[in-house]
Order: sequence, then C-alpha cells, then structure tokens
Amino acid sequence: MSFLQDFNLLLRNQVRVSLNSLRQRRKRSLVGILVISLIFLSLLASLGSIAYGTLEAMPPQAAQGFLSLLFMVGMASQIFFGITAAFAALYMSDDLELLFMSPVSLKAVFAVKSLSVLGSNLLIAILFAFLPGIFYGLLFQAGAFYYFLVFLVGCGLWLLGAALAELINILVMRIVPPHRSKEAMGFIGAIAGIIIVLVVQIPNLLLNSQEDMNIGSWLTGKEEMLEIMNFFPWGWASLALVKGISGSFLAGLGWSILIVLLSVLLFLMAMILLERGFRQGFISLSQGEGGRGRKKHTSQIKNKNSTADNTLPKYSFIYADKVIPQAPSWVGTWAVAKKDLLSLKRDTREWFGYLMPLTIMAFFVGQYLFTSSKSGFSSLIAVLIMYTIMFSGNMALQSFGREGESDWILSSVPLAGWPVVWGKLIAAVLPTLILMEALLVGTSIAVGFSASLILLLALAAVLLSLGSSSIGLYYSIHNARYNPDKPQMRISPGASFIMYLTNMLFLLLLGLSLSYLFPPVELISMVESIPVLKFEGGFLSAILYVLYLISRPFLWPDVFRIMLGIILTGGVWSLIFFGFMAATVRQSLKGFKVEYVSNRKIKRKL
Amino acid sequence: MENVLIKTNHLMKKYGSVSVVNDLNLEVKGGEIFGFLGPNGAGKTTTIKMLTGLLNPTEGEVFICGYDIRKRPIEAKAVMAYVPDQPKLYNKLSAKEFLILISSLYRVPKDIAQEKAEQLLDMFELQDRSDELLESYSHGMRQKVVLAAALIHQPKVILLDEPTVGLDPASARLLKDILQELAKQGAAVFVSTHILEIAERMCHRVGILNAGVLIAQGSPEELRRKIGHGEESLEDIFLELTGGKESAELIKSLEEE
Repeated sequence: MSFLQDFNLLLRNQVRVSLNSLRQRRKRSLVGILVISLIFLSLLASLGSIAYGTLEAMPPQAAQGFLSLLFMVGMASQIFFGITAAFAALYMSDDLELLFMSPVSLKAVFAVKSLSVLGSNLLIAILFAFLPGIFYGLLFQAGAFYYFLVFLVGCGLWLLGAALAELINILVMRIVPPHRSKEAMGFIGAIAGIIIVLVVQIPNLLLNSQEDMNIGSWLTGKEEMLEIMNFFPWGWASLALVKGISGSFLAGLGWSILIVLLSVLLFLMAMILLERGFRQGFISLSQGEGGRGRKKHTSQIKNKNSTADNTLPKYSFIYADKVIPQAPSWVGTWAVAKKDLLSLKRDTREWFGYLMPLTIMAFFVGQYLFTSSKSGFSSLIAVLIMYTIMFSGNMALQSFGREGESDWILSSVPLAGWPVVWGKLIAAVLPTLILMEALLVGTSIAVGFSASLILLLALAAVLLSLGSSSIGLYYSIHNARYNPDKPQMRISPGASFIMYLTNMLFLLLLGLSLSYLFPPVELISMVESIPVLKFEGGFLSAILYVLYLISRPFLWPDVFRIMLGIILTGGVWSLIFFGFMAATVRQSLKGFKVEYVSNRKIKRKL
Repeated sequence: MENVLIKTNHLMKKYGSVSVVNDLNLEVKGGEIFGFLGPNGAGKTTTIKMLTGLLNPTEGEVFICGYDIRKRPIEAKAVMAYVPDQPKLYNKLSAKEFLILISSLYRVPKDIAQEKAEQLLDMFELQDRSDELLESYSHGMRQKVVLAAALIHQPKVILLDEPTVGLDPASARLLKDILQELAKQGAAVFVSTHILEIAERMCHRVGILNAGVLIAQGSPEELRRKIGHGEESLEDIFLELTGGKESAELIKSLEEE
C-alpha cells in the first residue's frame, strides 16, 4: 500500500513538474518545436507513403521481413533516445538526492523515473511499432482481433525499448564521471543530431536513386537474414502480426504474449538494478563536484595535512621579487587563443560543432562519388567554399559565449580590445581553416585542378574564413549567451540568423568584385546584349540604373576591369574584416557580458 | 589622496527606479584591510563589481591607485585582483594552466609566472592535483585556485567577495594570514564577508552597508564607541545597525537561557 501511495504521489509530482516546465517554456521555443515537428512529420509522411506502397506489392514473407526491419529500427531508436532520456531522468536529475533523503520507497522513485523514460519513448514507439502494425492491418483489411495483437506487440516493443535503454544507461552512468555528466549528455545529443541529419537525407537519396531502389526485391534476396530476425523480439513482433493477418490468431497471440512477458521482465530487472545500483553506490549521483576522480587523491591530501607541521608557510615570496608586467601583448593574445583551443580539444561536445557540418559534407562527397559527373565537381567546390564561410562564421559566433559563467575573468584582467579579439579570432579560425583547407585542397586534387588554381582556392578560403569569422565575432560579443542546461547554446537565434544574412551579403559583394576579375563568359555575352539605359526617376528605375552601371565594367578593357576587380575585392574584404574587427574591439574595450539564459527566462548577469 | 588605493565618490547604482547602492563614499588606504559588511541584498556584491569595473555605476566615480576605473580601466585592472563569491573558472584547464593563463593576461614574464605558479600551488596545497582539469575540483579547491590567481601578479589592491565560503578551517586561516601579509606589504585589501568574527579579528576598519547605504564605518573599537554600548561584539553592533535588533535580543535571550 505504501509503495502505491508513494508511487501515486511521486507520479503526480512528476506530471506537475513536466507540465510546469512546458508552461514556462518561452513562446519562441514552442514555435521552434512546432516547426521542427512539422518538418519531421512531413519527412515521416513521405517515408511512410514509400513504405506503404512497397508493402502492397510485397510477398508475405518479404512483408514479414520488412516489418521486422522496421521494428528493429524502432527498437534501436528507442534504445538510443531512451539512453539520453534515462541519463537526464536519473543521472542528471536535480531531485534524486532530495528523494533519497525523503521517507519514500526507493522502488517508487525509480518506478516513476522509469515511467518518465517510457513516456519520452512514446513517440518513437507510436511511429515505429504501433503505426506500422495499424497500417499493415489496414492494407490487408484485418479484423478487430488483429488490432488487439498490434496493441500487445506495440506495448511490448515500447516497454522493451525503454527497459534496454535503462539497462545500457546503467553502464553509461558507471563509465561517465559525475562532473562530465553534462558533457556526456551533449555528446549523446550530438550523435542524435547527426542521426537525425542523416535520416533527413534519406528521402533525398531515395529520390536520387529511385530507379535502382526496390525494397521488395532487395528483401526477397535476403531470406536467410530475415530468418535470423525471428530469433529476436522484433522478429517475434513481426511474426505475431503476420500470423494475425493470416488468420492464425492463437499463434499471433502466443508471440505477442511472449514479447510482453519478456519486456515486463526486463523492465522490472532494469528498475531493480537501478535501485540497487544507486543504493549500493555502484552508480553515484551527479550532484556535487569532483566525484570518482577526486577520491583517488583524498588519502594523499589527508596524509599531507596530517603530517604537515602546523606552522603556517611564509608568504613573503608573494612580494619577494617585484613582478614587472613587461611581457609583450601577443603573449596575452596567444593565452586567450590557447585557452579556447584547449577547451575545444578537451570538451567532446565542442567536436560535434565540427562533426555536424562534416557529416553533411560527407553526404555531398558521397553523393558526388555515386553520381560522378563533371558538373558535380564544380558544385562540390562551391559547396565547400560556402561551408567554409558559414562554418567559420558559426564557429566565431560561439567565441565569447564560450566564456560562460567565467566571463568575469576576461573582464577583470588588464587586457581588452585587440589582444583579446585577435586571440578569439585565432582560436575560431585555426581549427576551422585546417579542416576546411584539408577538404578543399583534397577535393581539388581529387578533381585534378591545376596547382595554381588550388593555391588560389586555398588563399580564397583563408580570406573568406577570416572575413566571415570577423562577422561572427562581432555578433558573438554582442549576443553571447550562457545556458547552464544547454552550455553549447551560446548565441541568440536572432543574432545567429542576422549573422548568416550579413555573411551572405559579404559573399554577394565579394562575388561581384571577383566576377570583375574572373568574368564568366555567359555573363559577358548577357551584358553585351543589354541596351543603353538612362535614369528616368523613381525607385525601380534607380535600381535598374544601378544594376546597369554595375554591369558596365564587364565591357571595359581587361586592364581596367581587372584593376577595378582587385581594388573592389581588396576593398570589400578589408572593409568587412577590419570593420567588424574594429567594432568588436570597441565593444571589448567597453566590456562584454554573457547573457545568462535559462530555459524559462533571460536575465542580464549583474 | 596620499596612499589611498581605493576611493569612491558618490557611487550609485540603480536598476530602473530601484537604488541598489546609494551615494557611497569610501576610502581604503594601502596596508589596510577593509571589511565590507551588510545583510543579504545590501549591495555588497554590486559595489565590489563596480570597484572592479565589471559593472558600470549609474553615477559617481571609482579610483583604483588613482586610476579612474572607467577612464583608465587597463591601468586600474593591472594593479588590482578580484576574487568573486563563486569561483567560476575555465573547467577545461588545469590549475597550473589557469595560473599561467592569468599571468599571461597580466603580462607577467613567463619564467616568473612559472615560478610563482609553482609556489602558489604549493602554498595552497594544490601541487598534487595541479595538472588535473578544474572541472574535477571541489568548490573549496576552486576558491584556492582563484586566490592563487589573484596573487600571481602582486596586486596593490585586492577585492574579495565572501572569500571564505567553501574553505575548510585551515584554508580560511591561510587566507587570513595571506591577507595580513598583503596588507603588511602595503596592499589595500577590501573584503566583503558575512562572518563577523573574521571581520572583527582581521580587519583594520569595517564599513556596514544596509539597503545600499553605508551606515557606519571605522575600526571595530570606533564603532563600539559610536554605538556607545562599550563591550558589545561586532555582531551586536551589526544587528543593531542593520535593523536586526529584535534578532539580537532574541539571540541574547537564548544565550541567557
């Protein structure tokens, strides 16, 4: 009775907390969630329609294999996302310590926490377990009893996914030290992000290779693999539904009950192991600093304290030799850069800032390799250049937000302005450039560009990266944010968007200037065909006239056109780079602050 | 103005219409430990942040070693050190790397910085773990790292906001001794604290801030004379001045029982 009372009480509290946090969410984040959900749903609808069409034309055994595959993908997603949910609900939970100290049953605590993991997996279970079953039934006009089997199978797979996620999470919690729990969450979240990005690319790939892609025929040739599926719960689930459709209700029921029993057993086992793990210290709470890393040294420190002679050390050395601050200011610049570079190297979450665009780019490279065409070469180089700009801007955008709660340090030292901003620029540009240059040069060599063109491209990438980074730094110093729940969210979305627009403008201006240097033949022939235009007054006429004037240098003699190109390219780049750098320096001299943001509200740090 | 290392003129900070610090006039001389006392929300941290230049005052001026913190912030910061109430550090640096970083930012030559860092880490008994990342440090250990960083460039002015929070008794004693050494060497030490015993035993002068207004300042003896109760402790004076008289009486009655 006590367990039920505690469970009821804690469950109500958990629901209240969830509802409150949902209510407290800012409207902007709700709109964001809605937009992402719509994109996700449209993606699923397109994938679903492909799957539905494929099922229709499939022989029964292949259909069973297809369902097994779907359930397996669902199970994998449930385990993956469930680990994140379990990690957040158990390891990073703020209330565990409080609950452990309260006179409530620990079993009830873990039952409620496990339920919240189950709740977070509901969407995946609906998409990959319940819906495929329902649509399969609709396709073959199954009777009412079949849907009872779908319910059992769906619940079984749902429970099983959550149970397996919790069991794996026990190992994750054992491996990850408490002080790196947030980092681990970011790491898992980033992997999830990459998986989502890859999934989003699937319809694109399917459309590109529509003629070759036939899931039915692919499955027909894989009977042996499909038979192996029958040894796993997702295979049982598929067997249960196929038996249900073909009229063998009892066999279908048998397989369904087997899944349900296994999942209940594993779920109970996960709950018991979790409770024991926490109770017996196998898993430690994430609260507090230090953790296991510290324990190793406690005895050493204790010994040192106890053996120390109680006379206090002398402190005269603090002022013994006069320290004259005579190191050159580039030492400070490098110190700022080194600090950021070390943070980039040591924080695994930072790597994913690089991995995400690299993964997307890998797709482009992959796509190019599969559809190897001449036009693909130049578009790949264009993609790489675009990425260099966007990526550089984005990495620079993170710079000042990286200071986080430690922003007082850079604000209280006698170093501001150029040394700090140069330091930040070096840290933002260096890793980005190395990566992008490697990709750009590597691709250019693979494509077979001439050495001079490769050199030119590499130089262009450096200049573009520097220009774009200076824009990023400017928006970073003005819009730096820190969110303790999401430490990687370091900039306001609005500022990020404006930075991208500014970068686009930079690219446009630079592109125009460069086109005077390397005019495309098509453009020159088009400009030649434009008749003489005169300004006739009015806004539209003014725009047309400006465009007309811009087009005239294409018809100038080469020497003048190239000279104009050099002046404009250099001018645009210098104006953007030094303009934004100087503006950032001005703000740095005034002092910068990182805006403290929580999921609920924004406040300026005092 | 001679030997006055910290000086504020009519310092004021307002958030909207709410005045957090009001017309604050302070002077702290070299060789002096100044205790800054006040109940929660009195404006102590706001004042310290204005003194360090982290926060711009609404009105008034701050001078550090004669440098106006708003007009000549680099010069002022070069001779000053700040120890915040929460030791928020760069988690992905080790203690040694952090000290080297700070010394580079203060333009301390590298060889001297290395030597000082070693000495300070040793003094704070952090040498054994100096190569570990700060993210694995406890609150008290981080506090020690901040203190070490504050000393590495030989500041003439040191501002400490609740420095004893999270320190064990031995470390608190160490801090007290260090601050006395700093004062002996001619530095101005400005320390905000809740622990009145520390203020009474360590500070040459104290200032009591209540609702943003400096209601009293002087040595503990001077305050006792001013309040006119002779044998009262600083705690009694503090409670009386900050409107906690009822609490003081309650504490007294409890002690009598």
